[in-house]
Amino acid sequence: MIVFAASDKGGTGRSVTSANLAYQRALAGDDVVYVDFDFGSPTAPAVFDVPDMQRGIENGGLHSYLEGTAPEPARIDVWRRTEHPVLRRTPIGAGRLVLLPGDASGGEFVTDQDSVHRCVDLLLRLNAEFDLILVDLSAGRSYAMDMVLEATAGRELQQVVSRWVVFHRWTRQHVIAAAGLVFAERGLLEGGAERGHDKDALRSVIRFVRAAVPDPDSALWSHLSPAQFAWMQMYDEKLRRLAAELGVGDSVLLGTVPLEPILQWREQLITEEEVVATQIANKETLDAMEAIARRLTEDTHWGQP
Amino acid sequence: MTAPPDTAPTVLACGEVRTCVLPSRRPLDSDAAAQLLQLRADERVLVSKRPNLYVLSPQTLTGVDCRLPTANGAKVRVVGTVAVRAALTEGRILQSSAYFRTPAQGPDRRRPWGHYLIRPGVLEPLGRLPESAAAQGVLAGGRPGELDLGLIADGVLTPLVRHPLLDQRAPLKSRHTRLRWAALPADPGQGPAIEEFTLAEDDLRTVRLRVPAGTEPAAIAALCEDFALHDWLLTTVVRLLDGRLGPVEGPDALTALRPAVEHLMHLWMPRARGDRTLRALWDVLEHDPGFTRQWDNLVQRVRDRLALLNALPKQPVAQPARAGEKT
Repeated sequence: MIVFAASDKGGTGRSVTSANLAYQRALAGDDVVYVDFDFGSPTAPAVFDVPDMQRGIENGGLHSYLEGTAPEPARIDVWRRTEHPVLRRTPIGAGRLVLLPGDASGGEFVTDQDSVHRCVDLLLRLNAEFDLILVDLSAGRSYAMDMVLEATAGRELQQVVSRWVVFHRWTRQHVIAAAGLVFAERGLLEGGAERGHDKDALRSVIRFVRAAVPDPDSALWSHLSPAQFAWMQMYDEKLRRLAAELGVGDSVLLGTVPLEPILQWREQLITEEEVVATQIANKETLDAMEAIARRLTEDTHWGQP
Repeated sequence: MTAPPDTAPTVLACGEVRTCVLPSRRPLDSDAAAQLLQLRADERVLVSKRPNLYVLSPQTLTGVDCRLPTANGAKVRVVGTVAVRAALTEGRILQSSAYFRTPAQGPDRRRPWGHYLIRPGVLEPLGRLPESAAAQGVLAGGRPGELDLGLIADGVLTPLVRHPLLDQRAPLKSRHTRLRWAALPADPGQGPAIEEFTLAEDDLRTVRLRVPAGTEPAAIAALCEDFALHDWLLTTVVRLLDGRLGPVEGPDALTALRPAVEHLMHLWMPRARGDRTLRALWDVLEHDPGFTRQWDNLVQRVRDRLALLNALPKQPVAQPARAGEKT
């Protein structure tokens, strides 16, 4: 299965959440590959704590591969290369966790027919090998998004299950932007249709994840005054209505990641260690990651019986 | 492939084999396999049904003019053609194989292409060839710009994998494996020998051989394809058993074991075909590390597990869906 992670804006927690989803699936035993198509700002190596390439690999990364200058993109075995103290002890029963980084020197680039072909070949190859392929796309309607829309519209990938997860923060502007990314003119659906996707079929494989959502009932906000509390609840309700009106309501919601203080400081993986031993992360955050990771493959969350 | 009479004796033959599972729910029958492997319109695909179904593509050629990797950094430019072919075993295991042979010495200057085209699968060095250093260099892999046999083999494999005949629904997840080989001449009067068989990186194996003078590189390639196929089977079944299967019980274990039983276990058939003299080299691998010994052990493990699963009381066990699986 291929899961494309998209967002309209930067700073939505798309990369850090999808890296956590990859981590959770690998823990559960799946062989997982994380493909960093966030060409503008590759951050995955930093999230996985891979040294010497916080902004991508020196050469031979995904940019080089798609542009045709490297025969195969470099692969990084996260369990083996990470400096994260918890991840270094590969958990028993875990599947593989492999990162395909972008090039450190690369940026957004115009894709052509050749790069689409290479993208198809890459996804086919990864699909033969991995249970889950998580593709992190640049924010907005990017070249990366156009490329994968075109790649998945072709005959070769038609039998491979593809799903889309759109990340957004829980504010008025972000809700509007996420809806726009998918439904607006020149949005994901129209872009897909132009490239040969069936609009309804494509729409049925898109779900939304709300990130950094403050929960008024959590201990984090226990110091709120009654007035503030009431306002938060009222506004939360208002946002829900707005989301539903714009087509990004609860019926297409895959999950909600609560506002997590440590993720505001540092993009990182949330492990059992941070929750249980050092207690710097909230259990709700870990639970949310686990739940969303599970739902990626649960058909009931994708409108299928 | 007969060499023109003026070709000097071969001092080095090298190749690389890529092996993967065919991305198709069902194995291909001989007709479909022949259609898949029709790499050239002007030559027939070879179909052999005994002792197992084996389909071999016609040979194609890739022209090269580049440096040969060498272990000691010596600069050797080679010109000529690399032979490439693809094979499908039992409609299930797909392989592509690129190989060449080279004489000890070549002309100091590049000749017109016609000279190379009548010598298919021959690379001629400009000047003298340091054959041992080149053999080690090829096995170790070149730097960018140097001859990369794996890339040439992949060039045939990639379009095959996305052929319209294939539905991309392989019954199991598995990795591509690579096997590089290099063969130097044996001492006069000596038979063929395996000098080294290594499991290098995750998916890379290397084989260094000695072969009697006059051995066809295509025959060595066939032997190494046979090695690669069986090594792939071992690698894949080991992963299947050691991966998520470890402590798992119930229907999930059955789901994971099933592809091994249905699609892989009957494929084990070392030295099914190929050159008689070279086939003797299988004995070396059977003795150490003991390919078939390990395989028998794996098959027994799979069967024991299935027997256990069958004997245990059947309880409905709720298992989370695996990625890519329909529930």
